[in-house]
Amino acid sequence: MASERRYDPVTGQYTTGHQWDGIEELSTPLPRWWVISLVVCFIIAIIYAFLYPAWPTTKTYYTGLLGWTSHSELAEYQTEARAGQAHWREQIAANTVGDIAASDDLRTFAVAGGKALFNENCAGCHGIGAGGQQGQFPSLIDDDWLWGGTLDDIYQTVTHGIRNTDESSRQSEMPSFKDMMSEEEIAATAKFVLAMSDTSVSAETRNAMPGAELYTNNCAGCHGAEGEGMRMMGVPALADQIWLYGETEEAIRNQIVRPKMGSMPAWGGRLGDDAVKMLSVYVHSLGGGEK
Amino acid sequence: MHTHASTALGHASAQRAPRTGTPHAATGRFRQVKTALTVFLLGLYYIVPWVRWTRGGESSQAVMFDASAQRFYFFGLEFWPHDLPLLLGLLIFSAAALFFVTSLFGRVWCGFACPQTVWTDLFFAIDRRVDRMLGRDHPLGQWAKTGVHVVVAIFTGFTFAGFFTNIVELGPQFISGQASIVAYVTVGVLTFTTYTLAAHARENVCLHMCPWPRFQAALLDPESLVVTYQNWRGEPRARARVPLRPEIATLDSSAYIMPRVATASVAGSSAATTYRGDCIDCGKCVSSCPTRIDIREGLQLGCIGCGLCIDACNTVMERIGRPHGLINMAPELSSVGGCAGKSGRIRLFRAKPMFFASIMMVTGSAMAWALATRSDVNAAVEHQRQPPFVKLSDGSIRNDYTLRFSRLGVHDSNVEIRVEGLDGAAIRLSNSAQASFTQGARRSFSDRVMVTVPKGSVPKVRVPIAFVITDRETRAPVARLETYFWGPGGVR
Repeated sequence: MASERRYDPVTGQYTTGHQWDGIEELSTPLPRWWVISLVVCFIIAIIYAFLYPAWPTTKTYYTGLLGWTSHSELAEYQTEARAGQAHWREQIAANTVGDIAASDDLRTFAVAGGKALFNENCAGCHGIGAGGQQGQFPSLIDDDWLWGGTLDDIYQTVTHGIRNTDESSRQSEMPSFKDMMSEEEIAATAKFVLAMSDTSVSAETRNAMPGAELYTNNCAGCHGAEGEGMRMMGVPALADQIWLYGETEEAIRNQIVRPKMGSMPAWGGRLGDDAVKMLSVYVHSLGGGEK
Repeated sequence: MHTHASTALGHASAQRAPRTGTPHAATGRFRQVKTALTVFLLGLYYIVPWVRWTRGGESSQAVMFDASAQRFYFFGLEFWPHDLPLLLGLLIFSAAALFFVTSLFGRVWCGFACPQTVWTDLFFAIDRRVDRMLGRDHPLGQWAKTGVHVVVAIFTGFTFAGFFTNIVELGPQFISGQASIVAYVTVGVLTFTTYTLAAHARENVCLHMCPWPRFQAALLDPESLVVTYQNWRGEPRARARVPLRPEIATLDSSAYIMPRVATASVAGSSAATTYRGDCIDCGKCVSSCPTRIDIREGLQLGCIGCGLCIDACNTVMERIGRPHGLINMAPELSSVGGCAGKSGRIRLFRAKPMFFASIMMVTGSAMAWALATRSDVNAAVEHQRQPPFVKLSDGSIRNDYTLRFSRLGVHDSNVEIRVEGLDGAAIRLSNSAQASFTQGARRSFSDRVMVTVPKGSVPKVRVPIAFVITDRETRAPVARLETYFWGPGGVR
């Protein structure tokens, strides 16, 4: 059986020395580099199992010598990202909203950051494109503002919110005229209010309407003699073409009887001042921003 | 047919070790071309990153892939990511050119221009030079070779990194540890691959790793010029002292086609074992082959078509006073006395090469046209769909768009936007009452553009409009972007 190992000239290999009926077995070992790679892989796997979390225990798991977790890695990336933005964030913190909007670079940064913040925090009510929702939440991209559309107004509104428990929150309330006016009077007032925004109705015709006097006596105090509204108190303009709660007579009657008034949380405490600044600059950039 | 004469070398070639190290040097025409091409290509590689080019008034690198800015500079040309189709065209053209050359001349790419061949050839040259200087068996020989190999490999890796960053600054940064990690990794990887592939793997890359040899057979036709051992002339092989076959004694040089008279005598010379052919079995063709094959076994996968065996054999033929061309570039069929074309001549206009040439023509001209008419402006406008339109307090309707604008070149662009196809439309940018802006050179501009139409002229439904961007200085139109304006009625 066993014989001498010999060189086989045909294949260029050595034989194993095994021989059966003259048939010899060639020795073709795995290449040395292959074997070494395999062994190295095993060694690396063992080291890895000690360094990284690899084994479950009954209640928890072995955390590894390096203490690595995917959470800590994420935190690391976030810290890194924040460090990269630090230069900009410092400037956001140091400047007023007006200064931020006036600087091209800062505005670009604030608008980008503001957009992300808006989609995360505001879009739920105001919509992804800030177009609002008819009957509930005002549009932020038109030029009609309840509480003012300058940067400072927006900043104030976002920081403290509207009709909430924040001490500096915007506060106002429209009374219900259900018990103060008769149904006919309410209907007449609604007709007059609708006519105020109808540019095809002349001032003479409008002032001759039965609702004119009712409006002057009951509504003009807040909504203004010409229906221009009062932003100090969040009183909507009635003479414009934008009707948050509907532009039908019925909708206006409902509003006189059971006034709807929106509220908004105060974001200053939740998001921090820097975020609110960026949000304000972003909202201001959407088309309705006033100087 | 002839039987192979049994010689000592016949066995020796079967017993060759897997790696023979550096092949013997050959001298001749092919060697000269190969050396010239190697020097030229290596020179191109090592020198090009150092060439400077004045761009935008400042000196910068003539050829650079600026990965972070996503720009590719090639002398006076500048490419942006949206020029990527040009790269596709270039790749198709290159592939067709490679196929074309292969169908005419066999694997000249492999033999002369492939980076693996070029660097391996350089490393062979280093090995031979070291052997000449120190002697073949010098104990420090391998150390000296490895040392030079590593230096060349590092320099190669460094140069590669230099195509992606400013190579003038990279040197000092690299040595002082200031370079980016990416630069170190790039240099490290390229150094490693250069050293491994050119100093160790060498011909094994061609034989075992490269996919290209596997389908080259599909590209050849019977008239392709390939390195061919002229069987009819060389066989049977024997020592030089064995007398030459009488029918080939009067051959003139350069004949790669078997003379008619020879054909007749070969066919009837079955008892010619006492004579020999032109091959004296010196083994020079094998020992000079960079892929260590025996070309006398016919065209094979391992042959990279470099022609060094031709040079080696011609040198020997000269020495024994026989005409050149026992091994030559010839159609494969010529080796056994066949001839390819009808007239025995090689036609240039053949189906395969012309097919590949036509692909080259089409892609080449398409690319040239695309490059010549390439717009230097990349502008796009996107209508804001949330909400599609905004009603303003005076009843006018506004649509918002996102405009992206970038322009090649080194100068700031001062441009103005107008709206076409919409009566009474006013246009402005988000942060100003105007519709003009300056886009800084090498930056791209992006902003919200607002188009407002007064109540009286608001279109009921969606209407097509166009943004026209003009240069404020030259008044020349720069771009025209078509989009829609949405009226309150929506799409009809």
